[in-house]
Amino acid sequence: MNNKRLGLSLLITMQMLLPLVLTGCWDSVELNRRAIVSGVGIDRGPSDDQKYILSFQVIIAEEISGEQTRSSSPVALYSGSGRTMFEALANASRQTARFLSLGHVRVVVISEEFAREGIKDMLDVLERESDMRLTSLVFISKDQPASEVMSTMTVFSKIPANDLVEKLDTTSKQFGYNYKMEVDDVIRGIQVRGGGPVINGVFRTGGRERGDSNDNLKTITPDTILRISRLAVFKDDKLKGWLEGKTAFGTVLLLNKLKEFPVVIKKDNGYLAFNVYQSQVSVDAEAKDPEHPVIIIKITQQAALKESPNSLDLTSPEVLEKLSEQLTMEARSQIREAIAAARKLESDYIGFGEAVKRENPHGWKKVKDHWEDIFAACEIKIDADTVIRHTDMRGNSFQVY
Amino acid sequence: MGTVKVGLIQFFSITLLFELGTALVVNLGMAAGRDAWLSILIGSAGGIGVFAGYAYLYRKYPELPFTAYTRKVLGKYIGTPVALIYVILYINLAARDLRDGSTMLAMATMHNTPLFILSMLMILSSAYVLHKGFEVLTRTSLVFLLLVLLIGLFSTLMLMFSGSINLNRLLPMLEDGVEPVIRSVLHQNYMFPFGEMIAFTMLMPFLSNVKKGPWVIAGAMLVSALMLSFTMALNISVLGDDIVERSPLPLMPTISKISISDFIQRVDIFVVMVLIIGVFFKISVFFAAALIGISDLFGIPYRKMLYPCTLIILFTSMLDARSFTEHLDEGGRLLYTVYPFLMIAIPAVLILVSVLKSYFSAPRPG
Repeated sequence: MNNKRLGLSLLITMQMLLPLVLTGCWDSVELNRRAIVSGVGIDRGPSDDQKYILSFQVIIAEEISGEQTRSSSPVALYSGSGRTMFEALANASRQTARFLSLGHVRVVVISEEFAREGIKDMLDVLERESDMRLTSLVFISKDQPASEVMSTMTVFSKIPANDLVEKLDTTSKQFGYNYKMEVDDVIRGIQVRGGGPVINGVFRTGGRERGDSNDNLKTITPDTILRISRLAVFKDDKLKGWLEGKTAFGTVLLLNKLKEFPVVIKKDNGYLAFNVYQSQVSVDAEAKDPEHPVIIIKITQQAALKESPNSLDLTSPEVLEKLSEQLTMEARSQIREAIAAARKLESDYIGFGEAVKRENPHGWKKVKDHWEDIFAACEIKIDADTVIRHTDMRGNSFQVY
Repeated sequence: MGTVKVGLIQFFSITLLFELGTALVVNLGMAAGRDAWLSILIGSAGGIGVFAGYAYLYRKYPELPFTAYTRKVLGKYIGTPVALIYVILYINLAARDLRDGSTMLAMATMHNTPLFILSMLMILSSAYVLHKGFEVLTRTSLVFLLLVLLIGLFSTLMLMFSGSINLNRLLPMLEDGVEPVIRSVLHQNYMFPFGEMIAFTMLMPFLSNVKKGPWVIAGAMLVSALMLSFTMALNISVLGDDIVERSPLPLMPTISKISISDFIQRVDIFVVMVLIIGVFFKISVFFAAALIGISDLFGIPYRKMLYPCTLIILFTSMLDARSFTEHLDEGGRLLYTVYPFLMIAIPAVLILVSVLKSYFSAPRPG
């Protein structure tokens, strides 16, 4: 009798306690109620009431891999505007049938217009929001609104944002000077005294008319292609200018982010092409007198000869030695050009101030307020060394007899 | 006391988890800027010094918890109120850690879950383990320690492989001299988390080996200090000192930087796991200390006070502050006002009195 009662009361207690476990699911949102945002475009609106215009590239999961595809666009673009980023997000999510989930944002594109005005304020929400990850890549859309970049259909990936990520990965591994620039890199870049971040540029080539529909992919030559090219350089949080070509290579070399890049040099009357596949750069400072620091740049590079139509004797070490000297000269001139560009823009985005700070923290405190003047005039020593490791699959190149 | 004995390995693991606790995920010692790792190491030296004092008292009364020998040393009329203060301290510390844990959980992942529900689930799990007994808690810690260490190893390796670590961010060292480091040590690091070892004065009677016990605990403190210092250095070298200083949970963004060819990524749920495990053991140890204190002071069986105590801790944690900012501000001030008095001054008085007593009551020759 007593046992039965005990059992009953235990059962009732359990029944009352077990629903407590369900509270763990308080925040759950089922997968089919989520709209996964793959990219965000940030544009400057016309007025202060609409300062931020956010465009969210939302993945339509059914179109990516589903049996009931409607052969429509795999992503959709929703935009909203507001006085703050959060208000713009709220306004945009009112149009979507599902909850916008920001956990998988891979790309953040900021329009050039906004970047010239300053990007500090918008970065706060990007690092504060706990759903967002710091690993989102940041781009500046050159001359174009960010929403246009976000709404371009791409060839290699159904999701344009993923295409952009892959393009950056490819270009950073080969031939390109663009490298991965994530949200926290940008924040740290802004905080460098006298300097600023370096952010990848992105733009759309070709006509706009068919770029945002599947038609863009129906021809062999796509109407519109997203290109990652150029580097946007900043002073503090404001865009100052764009770098390209040799200057951009030199800049990324200085930042020690360059993995593999082609170099062409002239010899006699023809051109030789090299692939530089390893480069180590260190920037140090001799700063006993912080007013007149000496910046010491050390570069070691390894290269392979890729193309040589000349009749040079490539089996002779002396010839290769001469060629590698020329490569060294090329590296020096790349770096000199990069420094000249930075001085012209009056922004120490190449991190000389940081080198002085590491070397002489006390002296840095004294000079940091007028670092711009010192940066413009400080002495620079470049110590470069290049080795040509091999000439690939042939020795001398074939000649006409 | 002293019916259950707990082995040295178990004591080692629970000390380690207790010390890592919340300290592993918060921005510890950031008053010292990028030298935070240094201030943690110096702080641990201070903390181990303080612990040596507790160990001295333990060796003197190996069978008694803190509340018991307080009464023995100071006498019934002074000792009992002092012991009571300690019971309140343990309850308060448990409540503060509960608030820490539940709010951080709400900030990091569970945005809409009410704080009360989170707190209740956490404290109920603590209460359940303590209902099974202190020994069970220590054996549980062994399992979870393994998990935490594996997560730590995995995360460190993955951060290295994903190339996010830049040791230049730790330079220049001691930019403003040793002053900020010392200030950070004095304001925080010798007390948090190392001074919180005061809870172990209640638990050491369970030690199976009087001689080696305190050494093992000190060893665990040292290991935990190395791990905390390493973690802070890791945070700073990944994120830079400014971002770490501004984040309440810097380990989270640090771990979220892990990305290995887009395959291994978004592992920050590990940090949430470490947070929950750490908070659980911290609350449980303080909770156990409070329960032992109550049963020792009032002679009430340990299990009878378990659920009332659960409620007290739960409501203290809810009523403690309106916002997390207020909670942290309060905690920061307690660290250099109230806690030094309770964790250093009173034990020091106890040591002094007991030394004097034994000196005067020693049998004199002749």
